[in-house]
Amino acid sequence: MNYQMTIGIEIHMELNTKTKMFSGAPYHFKKEANTCTNEVDLALPGTLPCVNQMAVKKAIEACAALNLKIDPLVCFDRKNYYYSDLPKGYQITQQFHPIGRDGYLTIKDEGVSKKIRINRIHMEEDTAKQFHLHDETLIDFNRAGVPLIEIVSEPDMHTPREAALYVEKLRQIMTYIGVSDAKMEEGSMRCDINVSLARADSEELGVKVEIKNLNSIANIETALKYEYERQSELYDKGETITQDTRRFDEKSQTTVLMRHKEGSIDYKYFPEPNIFPIALKEDYIKEIIAKMDELPDVKLERYEKKMGLSAYDANTLLSDKELANFFDETMKLCDNAKLACNMLVSEIQGLLSKLGQSLCESKLSPGALAKIVKMVDAGEISSKQAKEVLSAAIDGADPSEFAQKMGLKQNSNEDEILKLVLEVLNENPQSISDFKNGKDRAMGYLVGQVMKKSKGQANPALASRLVKEELAKR
Amino acid sequence: MDKKELQKYAHNLMFELSNEELEALEGDFDVLKAQLDLLNKVDTTNVEPMVYPFVLETTYLRPDEADHLLTQEEALANAPQVKQGHFVVPKVVK
Amino acid sequence: MNIQESKNLGGAAFKNSYEKAQKYNEKLNAIVTFVEDEGCQNQQGLLANVPVAVKDNFSTKGVKTTACSNILANYQPVFDATAIKKLKEAGAKIFAKASMDELAMGGTNLTANIGPCHNPYDLKRISGGSSGGSAVLVASGVTPLALGSDTGDSVRKPAAYCGIVGTKPSYGRISRYGVIPYASSLDHVAYFTGNVYDAALALEVLAGRDDLDMTSSYEPVLNYSQLLDYDFSKLSFGVIDNVIEAMSNQKIKETFLKLIHDLEAKGAKVKHIHFDNDLLKALFPTYFIIANAEASANHSNLDGVRFGVREKGDSMEEIMINSRTKGFSSFIKKRFVVGSYSLFEENQERLFRKAQKVRRLVCESFNESLKDVDVLIAPASGQVAPLIQNEEKQDELTDEYLICENYMVFANFAGLPSITLPMGFVDDLPVGVNLSAKAFDEVTMFRCAKALEDVTGLKDLVKEDF
Repeated sequence: MNYQMTIGIEIHMELNTKTKMFSGAPYHFKKEANTCTNEVDLALPGTLPCVNQMAVKKAIEACAALNLKIDPLVCFDRKNYYYSDLPKGYQITQQFHPIGRDGYLTIKDEGVSKKIRINRIHMEEDTAKQFHLHDETLIDFNRAGVPLIEIVSEPDMHTPREAALYVEKLRQIMTYIGVSDAKMEEGSMRCDINVSLARADSEELGVKVEIKNLNSIANIETALKYEYERQSELYDKGETITQDTRRFDEKSQTTVLMRHKEGSIDYKYFPEPNIFPIALKEDYIKEIIAKMDELPDVKLERYEKKMGLSAYDANTLLSDKELANFFDETMKLCDNAKLACNMLVSEIQGLLSKLGQSLCESKLSPGALAKIVKMVDAGEISSKQAKEVLSAAIDGADPSEFAQKMGLKQNSNEDEILKLVLEVLNENPQSISDFKNGKDRAMGYLVGQVMKKSKGQANPALASRLVKEELAKR
Repeated sequence: MDKKELQKYAHNLMFELSNEELEALEGDFDVLKAQLDLLNKVDTTNVEPMVYPFVLETTYLRPDEADHLLTQEEALANAPQVKQGHFVVPKVVK
Repeated sequence: MNIQESKNLGGAAFKNSYEKAQKYNEKLNAIVTFVEDEGCQNQQGLLANVPVAVKDNFSTKGVKTTACSNILANYQPVFDATAIKKLKEAGAKIFAKASMDELAMGGTNLTANIGPCHNPYDLKRISGGSSGGSAVLVASGVTPLALGSDTGDSVRKPAAYCGIVGTKPSYGRISRYGVIPYASSLDHVAYFTGNVYDAALALEVLAGRDDLDMTSSYEPVLNYSQLLDYDFSKLSFGVIDNVIEAMSNQKIKETFLKLIHDLEAKGAKVKHIHFDNDLLKALFPTYFIIANAEASANHSNLDGVRFGVREKGDSMEEIMINSRTKGFSSFIKKRFVVGSYSLFEENQERLFRKAQKVRRLVCESFNESLKDVDVLIAPASGQVAPLIQNEEKQDELTDEYLICENYMVFANFAGLPSITLPMGFVDDLPVGVNLSAKAFDEVTMFRCAKALEDVTGLKDLVKEDF
């Protein structure tokens, strides 16, 4: 039997602000336990929330990037439940008036585009981190109060691949615009997936199953493939699916039951009395959106259409935000996009991987790269010499100083090179006759001899042209 | 409203009520019911709920600058049980 | 002793209050924790060297803050409430954490975990609450200033029972940061003094925008104590007739009517206002639902996990249940159940949101009435301080209870500045009158109060022989 899968995804993303959503305590991942809190985060009696401007700004950027309508009146509500990782006994969230509604993003699967609608984005605060030991649980409140946005999709995805592409796309967009680190493995991006199966010919959706604990995009696909198998088998056997919450089990690469859902929990939502509604001015919102970092899709189009990079090169740059930013910075200082891109994605990456460094760890600056690109462009150094200069620039050397010091420069003086060419031809009559007899290789040998005589400084293209011209004359 | 239901409400708030408390609470709900009648005498058709004493439109948002931080010692100062810089509770089963 | 007399004592003022407090406390039971002298931060401050008592729901760094609840019996804040900071910056010295109803949820001070607080005018009588401890410390002359909090009438009612001045400024005037809440949308920092001048002076110290409290106001703070001059002919008082009509105590009624008569005789304008009686009778149920709903959530942080008294349990859930079961009195738990009940999805529209709608109508009605008069005026209570051993439980459904004993919550609903001051004695016990003005018009409120104080001549009343 064939079944149609329907998938909706809820994503929590930590916003990368300096301080918490409702308190001025700074937060860093990996700090010692309970050293990133103040009395607000611990919900000590009498403390009050105070909304972080940067969190609101980043939420607006997320909304704009995903085409949501932004509510200019920011309101918060309380979601009441008791848990040891929830200090106040309620979470401040945006139940009734999310900051954004009704957006979408576009995924591309083998060239085919598909719009996935987004129902809402709202701001809220994170909970504390718990470590479960043998018979006790340790609680670290550093993460308590870290700003989150929750991005809720419509159930518009129908294959595990679409789900994975959606999450990947979201991750890419959010990291590009600098809203979140969106690291699934560190928990700064967390996915809950709702999935149901129904007969392909059925109008109704099947029973919804929720999957949690998905800490990589690959796992999302694996988990959903498994769920398809599991649920379709059950349906085939005529069994019913129960409304469960399941979690992905890394070891077995399957999903396992966490709990049966018994009706929905009443969170007794009500408006947060401690925060007056905050009116965002239209100009304020507009300014934030105008100053936003370029979206990855826009960047891709710019690389391909305006700069003439190949799709492959453009995507390679885009796959790494650091690389793309470095490239953009370089291109502010020079013109030859293809050359700059080439150097970045092949030469530089090669050199860095030998050194075991990343681009930002190395001393290479966009300014240095731009200089080298310009030097090659102007014929001042050869591309072979450029490699040497790049290698030095990665160690922090100034490209022009280095080239000068090492005598690395390209000779493009036609008269001087012609002189060398004539010398070489006169010294190698055998090669001339070989060439005349159809041995093309002889031509390469002659050019090589010219390069050697010039101590590697002759412009190879020029040398090659002159050798060819002179050979024709003989 | 029976005692079982009231106890359920108490559990929802993470406490238990004794038999006497449950009985007293039943009485309180009777009073509440009478008070509700008073509330219902006021016609609130087309009236919006009022959450705040007045609406002072605010535009203030806190700048994202670290202001103050507790030391680990201060954070844990009132903790009933501490281990390795953490608050401790019996193992929480998710 | 008023603030100036206390300042005049300089460094000796603290010891004077501290020792008096120790002596009187045996009979008054007004103090939870005594605070040692931490010195004066500002010898030039408006309150230099002035000893101040604060209700035990104000967070005081390093000093136990229990809100008179067992669950907080061991809690020591690691920070000062903003109001506390402001007091210290003005040179004041805190000498006592004063008794209150448990978590400020009451009007008698009988629910304090340390037992009832006694009225200095008759130790068999209540102080009123929830800020009872603070009230009796001012009434017995221990201190010229004591902080309280007022969610329904928790400062303005005990002020009436204790013959002193109780001031609740506009919502947002004084930061609530660090004050253990009752109901966030109704809570106000408020305080007791012996006279109106001191009340005006204290507001200069306590008021002002605080970025830690998003509901705190940007309205400029004025030199209220310098703006008390008035001209009777320019003052107008709106008498809330419903309160007089519902009142059975003839002596209190007569005291009040005589005061109104005196005001008129001095040239003040008096207007009689009659509100929709059904709306006034709905005040208390509206308050009860909103306050308890907010409280049920506000106190969810009291779970024995991070602070406070933790009871044993084999699981996180058991710890929370045991700590909360033992940590709260029956009275509190019942209030929480009622409050939480009104928030359930299936009930919220007909209970919580209904109450919030009535709140709007109340605010509109009272704000409208204040367009014609400077202040609204009525007795602060229809009775003298009740006996602690009250044989008869008050019927909570009579007009007298609903209106006379609860009407003052309108000022919390609408965030209006409101002040209670003594208007006379009935059966040798003080009775009070209450004034409320437009939001943020404390100047007018204080002016009218000063005029009234001059008419009655009742100020700096001290009852020390008990």
